[in-house]
Amino acid sequence: MSENAGSRNPLQLRDQPETCRTADAEERSAWQRVIGRFADNCRARSLFVLHYCTGCGAIELPPTITSRFDMERVGVSPMVTPRQADILLITGYVALKTLKRVILSYEQMQAPKYVIGFGSCTINGGMYWNSYATIKQLDQYIPTDLFIAGCMPRPEAVQEVFLELMRMIDAGKANAWRDYYRNYDHYLANQQALFGPQWHTPTDIVAEAKHYGLMGPGTTGPHTRLLDQHAEWALDRIPEDYPERGENERSER
Amino acid sequence: MTSQRASVPAQLDHILHEMSEVRVTPKGERRVRVDLAADRLPTLLQLLKGHGGFLHLSSISCVDWPETDEFELVYHVWSYESKMLISAHTLIAKSPGRFVSVYDIHAPAGFYERDIHEMYGVHFEGSPNLNKFILTSWHGPPPMLKSFDTRAYVDETYAWRDYNPQWLKDIAAKGGGIEE
Ligand code: SF4
Repeated sequence: MSENAGSRNPLQLRDQPETCRTADAEERSAWQRVIGRFADNCRARSLFVLHYCTGCGAIELPPTITSRFDMERVGVSPMVTPRQADILLITGYVALKTLKRVILSYEQMQAPKYVIGFGSCTINGGMYWNSYATIKQLDQYIPTDLFIAGCMPRPEAVQEVFLELMRMIDAGKANAWRDYYRNYDHYLANQQALFGPQWHTPTDIVAEAKHYGLMGPGTTGPHTRLLDQHAEWALDRIPEDYPERGENERSER
Repeated sequence: MTSQRASVPAQLDHILHEMSEVRVTPKGERRVRVDLAADRLPTLLQLLKGHGGFLHLSSISCVDWPETDEFELVYHVWSYESKMLISAHTLIAKSPGRFVSVYDIHAPAGFYERDIHEMYGVHFEGSPNLNKFILTSWHGPPPMLKSFDTRAYVDETYAWRDYNPQWLKDIAAKGGGIEE
């Protein structure tokens, strides 16, 4: 912290209760950095993994989790629901039908959240490179922090990537999730290219981006406007006598 | 053409005897292949179910024959009593690609027919549900057809990752690397 930070120590305010002041932006960001650094450090030491077992690679996870390699000793533990998980581990090829579920699960997770693509299939399609039914690059649809190469990667590689992710979180570098808010239009464009212009999820990413102050130049665009159209279209089709219709209209105006 | 009937198990011979123009080829001790015309297939399944105890339709498979413009449908039925599997082969024309459903004989056929309809485009008349099954976001032609060009579809639907690091170039310079 800078030299004069000591004189602005908020604890000193106790002696002068009449001088009520607010912290300026520089001071606040300094505190935020300290707290953020501390939080990152804690975060990196307690990670819960939602392993979305899409492909054959999932078979490497039981040995990774259980006694042979025991990933819990480094502070990584399995989790069964997306809302309580920090890491989304996509273990292998992702079919179009699966991708929809992956996106829904990802959007339900609470930030900060991290995605690891496990196996060649998530990187470039792997041995399903010419299959009509599987996607080729996971990071086109959801932001991915790390990939593990290999078909399939051994538990040692999985642990190595967890340790690398912990290093990244500790250093405040695992920020791919922010990219989903900042460039939502880009990700949505790729999703819509596969699922059609009607594609939408229950989570309002643009509203979340606004709420958390993560709006970027790429958050909205031609593709998120399609979402708005769809919402209007759906609102028009709520029956007249449906009790919530009035509420929706009220909040609209 | 019933020359091979001699080696067909007796009780099966008894059933197949009631049908004409079926070709029976024993494939093993408990496997029999039957070839017959498409319009006789439901009768055969009915007879096998009623008189032979072939209660279990374990699968229907489909083959696309591009040279003759035909689909080959193969119905596999299993008997728990005689522990025998019969595969009934029949050929139908690719256009219009219609066939009758056997849902009324074997209820599980509904799923197999729905699957074949999705993957090959065969229409089964009387099948309870021919809606999309697995390929929910699919707008292309039936993908298992030989005429469907998977590579072209992938090229136009997905982007390839640009990856050409120095070590790969070095290997290629020495005459190695990835070949298609
Ligand atoms: S990378 Fe290999 S092991 Fe993993 S899902 Fe793909 S084919 Fe299976």
